[in-house]
Amino acid sequence: MLAVQVKAEAEILPLISSKRLFILECLGCRDVHYPVEKAAEFMDSLKEEIVGKATLDYLCHREFVHEYVKAYAGEIEKAQVVLVFSCGVGAQVVSSLLEDRIVYTCCDTLYLNGFQGLTAKEFNCDQCGECYLNYTGGLCPVALCSKNLLNGPCGGSQAGKCEVDPDMPCVWQQIFDRLAKLGQLHTLERLGTPKNWNVSPASSAPEKRLA
Amino acid sequence: MQMRLMDYTKFRPKPDEEISEVFQRVNRIFILSCGKCFKKFEEEDEGQYAQLLETLGADRTKVVGHTQVDFLCNEFLSGKRISDLDLSHCDSIGVTSCGLGVQFVARLLERTPVYALADSVPHSPNYPAEVGYHGISLEEEKCAACSQCYLNLTGGICPITNCAKGLLNGPCGGATDGKCEVNSSVDCAWVRIHERLKKRGERSASEYVQPRDYSRPSWKVTNGLSLQNQALRGGGFYGGFHPLENKEATADKRVERFPEPQTAVIFLSQHAGRRAKPVVEPGDKVKVGQKVGEADGFVSSSIHSSISGKVISVEERAYPAAQREELAVVIENDGKNELHPSIQPRDDFEALSKEALLDIIKESGIVGLGGAMFPTHVKFSPPRPVDTLLVNGCECEPYLNTDNRLMIEHPEEILAGISIVQKILGVDKVFVGVEENKPEAIAALSRFSDKYPSVELVSLKTKYPQGAERSLIKRILDRDVPPPPKGLPFDVGVMVSNVGTLFAIYQAVAKGIPLFQRVITVSGEGLTRPGNYLVKIGTPIKDIIRYCFDKNVDGLLEKYDVKMGGAIMGVPQASLESSVIKGTTGLTVLKKHPVMASEERDCIKCGRCVEVCPMQLYPLFYGLYGKKGDLAKAVEHKVEECVECGCCEYMCASKIALLSFIRQEKAYARSASKG
Amino acid sequence: MKTRSNLERVLESGQFAVTGELGPPRSADAEVIRKKAKILKGHVDAFNITDGQTAVVRMASWAAAIIGKEEGLEPIVQMTCRDRNRIALQMDVLGIAALGINNMLCLTGDHQKFGNHPAARGVYDLDSIQLVRMVKDMRDEKKFQCGDEMTVEPRLFIGAAENPFADPFEFRVTRLAKKVEAGADFIQTQIIYNVDKFAEWMKGVRDRGLHERVKILAGVAPIKSMGAARYMKTKVPGMDVPDSVIERLQGVTKEQVSREGIKLCVDIINQVRQIEGVAGIHLMAIEWEEVVPEIVEAAGLLPRPKLAP
Repeated sequence: MLAVQVKAEAEILPLISSKRLFILECLGCRDVHYPVEKAAEFMDSLKEEIVGKATLDYLCHREFVHEYVKAYAGEIEKAQVVLVFSCGVGAQVVSSLLEDRIVYTCCDTLYLNGFQGLTAKEFNCDQCGECYLNYTGGLCPVALCSKNLLNGPCGGSQAGKCEVDPDMPCVWQQIFDRLAKLGQLHTLERLGTPKNWNVSPASSAPEKRLA
Repeated sequence: MQMRLMDYTKFRPKPDEEISEVFQRVNRIFILSCGKCFKKFEEEDEGQYAQLLETLGADRTKVVGHTQVDFLCNEFLSGKRISDLDLSHCDSIGVTSCGLGVQFVARLLERTPVYALADSVPHSPNYPAEVGYHGISLEEEKCAACSQCYLNLTGGICPITNCAKGLLNGPCGGATDGKCEVNSSVDCAWVRIHERLKKRGERSASEYVQPRDYSRPSWKVTNGLSLQNQALRGGGFYGGFHPLENKEATADKRVERFPEPQTAVIFLSQHAGRRAKPVVEPGDKVKVGQKVGEADGFVSSSIHSSISGKVISVEERAYPAAQREELAVVIENDGKNELHPSIQPRDDFEALSKEALLDIIKESGIVGLGGAMFPTHVKFSPPRPVDTLLVNGCECEPYLNTDNRLMIEHPEEILAGISIVQKILGVDKVFVGVEENKPEAIAALSRFSDKYPSVELVSLKTKYPQGAERSLIKRILDRDVPPPPKGLPFDVGVMVSNVGTLFAIYQAVAKGIPLFQRVITVSGEGLTRPGNYLVKIGTPIKDIIRYCFDKNVDGLLEKYDVKMGGAIMGVPQASLESSVIKGTTGLTVLKKHPVMASEERDCIKCGRCVEVCPMQLYPLFYGLYGKKGDLAKAVEHKVEECVECGCCEYMCASKIALLSFIRQEKAYARSASKG
Repeated sequence: MKTRSNLERVLESGQFAVTGELGPPRSADAEVIRKKAKILKGHVDAFNITDGQTAVVRMASWAAAIIGKEEGLEPIVQMTCRDRNRIALQMDVLGIAALGINNMLCLTGDHQKFGNHPAARGVYDLDSIQLVRMVKDMRDEKKFQCGDEMTVEPRLFIGAAENPFADPFEFRVTRLAKKVEAGADFIQTQIIYNVDKFAEWMKGVRDRGLHERVKILAGVAPIKSMGAARYMKTKVPGMDVPDSVIERLQGVTKEQVSREGIKLCVDIINQVRQIEGVAGIHLMAIEWEEVVPEIVEAAGLLPRPKLAP
């Protein structure tokens, strides 16, 4: 699921300096994470004239944006810049429906694990197309190892933590522990062959794996 | 507007050889298949399991069972479904889902081998560009979540998800006829960017863009936000969400007495159960607090006049709580404000017996003031004894401050009302649940905690619908009330009552005042005088709206919605011609949205309705079968257990009118059970 | 003999091997390498040139190796998976073989966050085990990773690293077995200060007969200062520096610490020589190459064998 952080002022202010603004704010993923106060602070601090503001849920939904653009056509007409507070999907949809207007986004987007729902998950799936979980007791090294090793761990695994961050679990330690619990440690002796990082989404038949 | 409705299915079956390899390792395998997410919802069963069986051939004898779990990665609900299964006789689990589902099941069943029978599927609009994430929609646009958004440099076209090489200073030299060298069916992203910038009169991307910082976002940042999110989503009961509270406009406004109406329209049905029988006729003179309607039957309640004057008529009028007309006593105010002689304070009320107290409550026309309007004297005579009283001071609806102000301004009366009810129910223990967004109310009640040692004040994390009975009981007592339509709080030994009701009980018992006025919050958008008002029952809604807007309100409903109640569960008014009833907790005025909930839109299986349903139901099925007209199927999916809190419709990414479907299906269920 | 590697010859002859190491400069200065190579010459059978150690940019290992070769030494080129995908790795393997390099060490690579370019993207197209197998197939099957054939194969003596002290400890022997299966000819271990733990690991190695299929070189290093000791103990992932070592160094004056650190190194060399299955040492005196000659001499490992090619 996507979450946003408000961009640094220094990045936005030069783009909107002295321009009349129309603001579009998306609150659809507030229950995932949305920095309501920071965004409000930012908007309040603007010296530029705000000719209108619309708040809606799901700026990533083309039909909704279309309706709002229609309903607020007058204000948007008066604005020189449309300022968007949303994730990159919403920002792109708005831009595609206002192709000949200046549209800027005020947010950076990042990803919290999980495709559906509102609650960030412990696990991640990188949609790599070659599910490796049967060799790792059901834990994904592609998504959860900092070096996406298939024959981990590396030499930096210490006390169950990854060398990248002392609080970050080493998934290969977790894989080892899980296989031990299942009595399947021998699985780790299998040599994981180089991965296909470019599995095609188009084919319905899966790619042939290199032996 | 033609919607794209991409298919973002996250998995497909593994190659046959790999499935065979798994089946060589097992003897008795149970299959879990996920009903998938993020594609147009058309069928409940998409045939994955059937397809798997076909692939297995002879190996299919090793399959000992199967179940489909929708949104397998919804850990709470799926965990429950899986723990209900009898997996004792199998040696392994096979999972058809994306990587999230498999990993979740593997962790849940740590000692049983769990095997993936599907591969995740990469999705990229410009394969093989970097995998991006779609939003809560099925559009083409994807976001790489790079946390250093480049859209302001590229006219709103993401170079990472659209350029096969993810170039930031593109294009490369490979584009031919505007098509990408890697995938000739796809436009070169940088050609598109160049065109877009030209259209906008922006300088073409000629500035140097420095290399991307791949260390962002750091694990620390994303992990921190994930933990924050999990803390937000948790909190006492499954489901629910956090609407913008918008209570600031009226939270600090003292309750003001609203001017008396010129004409009061007092409905004879302001309660669950049978309508009261009118006991006055046109021409009769009535005084304040005089009975004008007599309870008719066991589940019924009395109605009292809120003003002194003359009865003009007894006729059908537009009812505020539903789209229909109801019988009402219309009274013309004589301006004298004369109290009916039956209104006498009782100094000795503490000595009254339980039966006497119940009788006063009945005669005073007290009903649940949280909105349900159930006759209180009936509610307090449960078929089973209860051990705990829960007092509901949550007021989880946005905008409303009715209960909040009552707790701040009349804490002693509420606590005295609680003592009265304790006596009636014979309970030793009372909990008062108040959401933490009401610190003043909590402080006001705490001041008297010494005087009422059996009453415990519990401050609750704010989450809608914490104020719903079941959520409250779960959160405070960790008891599960059996689901509707049959289950009720007394099934687990609990009685729940709203603070407004308890205040009214005190007024009736100690002061002899029957229920003919109540506090309401008038708030929302565009109002000049939002506030908390003590309003006489029967006051025309138009009078109140006009006062609070401070201008003519003809034609208001073209631009605004007026709801009886709060923003979420409030009943939209078809006109301003109705009047205040006992169940009117507030009037919330909201500007109409350009996008309204509709029965026409397609469900995209985002799973958010499932995530927010406090009854742990799967509302997307109510939309699917409502659209198909197969109401019986909706009943199979437990639509009768829905409490119509509105969380699903509020959160729906496609703005589907789920409540409309649900009400149709519940009505069908009711008539089916009768017939 | 699989290759023309001097290291392979020494190991095959059954003699206790000695390899050294040098870190290339953070500049384009070839002189630095020539100077260090001259110190090591005659004291080691081959020497590693690190490749972007701790993700800090230095001259590429293969380039520094050529300079060292010009000085008459036998280089071991290191390559990490952090910086190159399988295409670049195979290209560089062909390149170094063509330039007469005989040895290669295959590593995963320290994460980019540790170095001076933390914003860089880590490639990690392969891991170290896949890299070992890939180079082995190029050498023995004359095939590229995709299956295409080549006419003249790179004949490299293939090494990998192993860390007996990293977690999970119970898995470390199995991991070694995987590298052996993949085709590793020799192993260099992480620096040993905890000899007991290393001995425990070696027992596991011997139990699986791995010492007979791969040549294990024990990693050793002198300690220059208390600061260096503490840094290794606390800041370097996968290093095990026992308290006894710290105490030993604390037992002498500040000026004497480096002397003691050298003595400690010699002691450890003598201890690991006694452990069955240890085929040699890998002496890492990074930025302190001057002390290599005296350590090798004090450990009784001179003269180095001169074997016919």
